[in-house]
Amino acid sequence: MQVQVQGMTTTNATPGLFKRNPPIAGEAEAIEKAKNGDADAFSKLYALHKRRVYTLCLRMLGNVSEAEDMTQEAFLHLYRKLGSFRGESAFSTWLHRLTVNLVLMHLRKKGLQLVSLEETINPSEEDAPKRDFGSRDPHLSGSVDRVALERAVATLPPGYRLVFVLHDVEGFEHNEIAGMLECSTGNSKSQLHKARLKLREILRQNEQAMPKQEAAK
Amino acid sequence: MTENIELNMTSEEFLNQLPELFAKSSGARISEDPRYSRILRENPTCAELVRDLEYIAEQARMLLEPENEIEPSPELWSKIQSSLETDKNKPE
Repeated sequence: MQVQVQGMTTTNATPGLFKRNPPIAGEAEAIEKAKNGDADAFSKLYALHKRRVYTLCLRMLGNVSEAEDMTQEAFLHLYRKLGSFRGESAFSTWLHRLTVNLVLMHLRKKGLQLVSLEETINPSEEDAPKRDFGSRDPHLSGSVDRVALERAVATLPPGYRLVFVLHDVEGFEHNEIAGMLECSTGNSKSQLHKARLKLREILRQNEQAMPKQEAAK
Repeated sequence: MTENIELNMTSEEFLNQLPELFAKSSGARISEDPRYSRILRENPTCAELVRDLEYIAEQARMLLEPENEIEPSPELWSKIQSSLETDKNKPE
């Protein structure tokens, strides 16, 4: 099935996130009222979904100011397009896809639109993960908290970050990501692997820096 | 046949195939898959890499929990309301 969001045709596949997203109490009523121009009902929809939409934007963009701008954009589009929501998928799924498409459009406008993402998604040599897996430092397990991971994700090169967030955090499949980013499934798999390698590198560097910082105190 | 190829992989072949192996594993742990137990046992560096990458993927899934969502600034709603007002007042 295909749905129109933002004037773009997208596959109506359910991302992993929303498979475990039960309907929210009062949401259906708020949607119907907001469709009829009820400002309080729209405000309720904002209150219900602002954190999810903002967090998604922030993780995809790695920048607070841009994330706020895109969250604003997402809710403005929601207001304009709400009438076209037919309930064929969960509202949160629909809003989530609308947000992802907006962020991708924003990134293309910033410089990724003329050449396919397949070519521009690759970061510079400097940003690429190193192929040296030789050193036997203590492994990461148990030592990385959520904040450290969020920070490390924010420092990833944009192409790596997008694929990592869409696949590992948001639960999209590689074929869905390939469709969204206009790249091959193989490219999505390879970018994800490189993103995880890069994260490992960043997290290990941070871990090694920690004892030195502690000692300097 | 496929199983034999996997059982006889060199560490380099294993590392080259890791993106595909992770994609095929659909969340299951490669580190606990008997097909790779020999290569991981004989190559502690590979084993460590796989464990770390699995750990990163597992931690990433936990970021999706609602308690890990981040609140936008309180001013954002005012900005949206103001844009909506401007939108409404625009001639059709």
